[in-house]
Amino acid sequence: MSYSPGMPVDAELLEILACPHCKTPVALVKNGTALKCSTCRRVYPIKDDIPVMLIDEATIED
Amino acid sequence: MSLFESPRRADSDEIIGSDVATRALSVTAVENDFVAKVYENIAWAYDYTFGPTLHTGRLQALERMGIEPDDRILEVGVGTGINVDLYPRNCAVTGIDLSSSMLEKARERVAKGGLKNVRLLEMDAVNLTFADNSFDIVYAPYLISVVPDPVAVAREMRRVCRPGGKIIVLNHFRSPNAIMARLERMISPLTLYIGFKSDLDLPGFLAQAELKPISIEKVNVPRIWSLVTCIKD
Repeated sequence: MSYSPGMPVDAELLEILACPHCKTPVALVKNGTALKCSTCRRVYPIKDDIPVMLIDEATIED
Repeated sequence: MSLFESPRRADSDEIIGSDVATRALSVTAVENDFVAKVYENIAWAYDYTFGPTLHTGRLQALERMGIEPDDRILEVGVGTGINVDLYPRNCAVTGIDLSSSMLEKARERVAKGGLKNVRLLEMDAVNLTFADNSFDIVYAPYLISVVPDPVAVAREMRRVCRPGGKIIVLNHFRSPNAIMARLERMISPLTLYIGFKSDLDLPGFLAQAELKPISIEKVNVPRIWSLVTCIKD
């Protein structure tokens, strides 16, 4: 069992990860430095390799 | 193994009672912001203070997990990552916490140990951002007393656990002994300074979270901590 260093969000995690607001899947954006929900357009930052899945910390982007 | 560690006695009636499904679980209330702030302040000292004293319980919880190769484990309230190097390297560990300061410690620990089987996320335990049935084992060590809504957290843990998977809660609950229980209720406002409810009601918690334990064991010294192991239906 191994995750790639520098890749905080691996494919398996992406499969089960959901937007805290919509509960729908999120996708990697900005060269893998953030996660975006296509339903509500919230972007969740990845800080120091740790995805921050908090509604209050998200920005809404087009 | 019996569900509860001691048979019901007369003095425990007021504790178990018939209103487990609805009653208030604690006389105290905590807010997320408050708890987050507490842990921002104590992150640097956590491993020295709460590390050794609560370690036996952590080891026993690991045993109860019965981890098999490739198991997907979610640790809710991973904190400073004090458990992360206890897990076998052939399982996939996901740790979440609300405190970025605690997670920073965990990140250092993961990097230092070269633990490629551990991933970390900042998340609110009451709103786990995972699909249903995503994990084989869902574990909350020393967390339930410091969240504003313990039942809501347990329900989320149940949701993300696969049917047949294990839900393990390691925590302090109110004593079934009436005198001790009264004492715990009295000191509860004091322990709240560290964001900790000392009077949490275990039967009420289990009933309201719809968790059916297969074992409840007393752990640590003094043996005031409970290791509760449940299987998801």
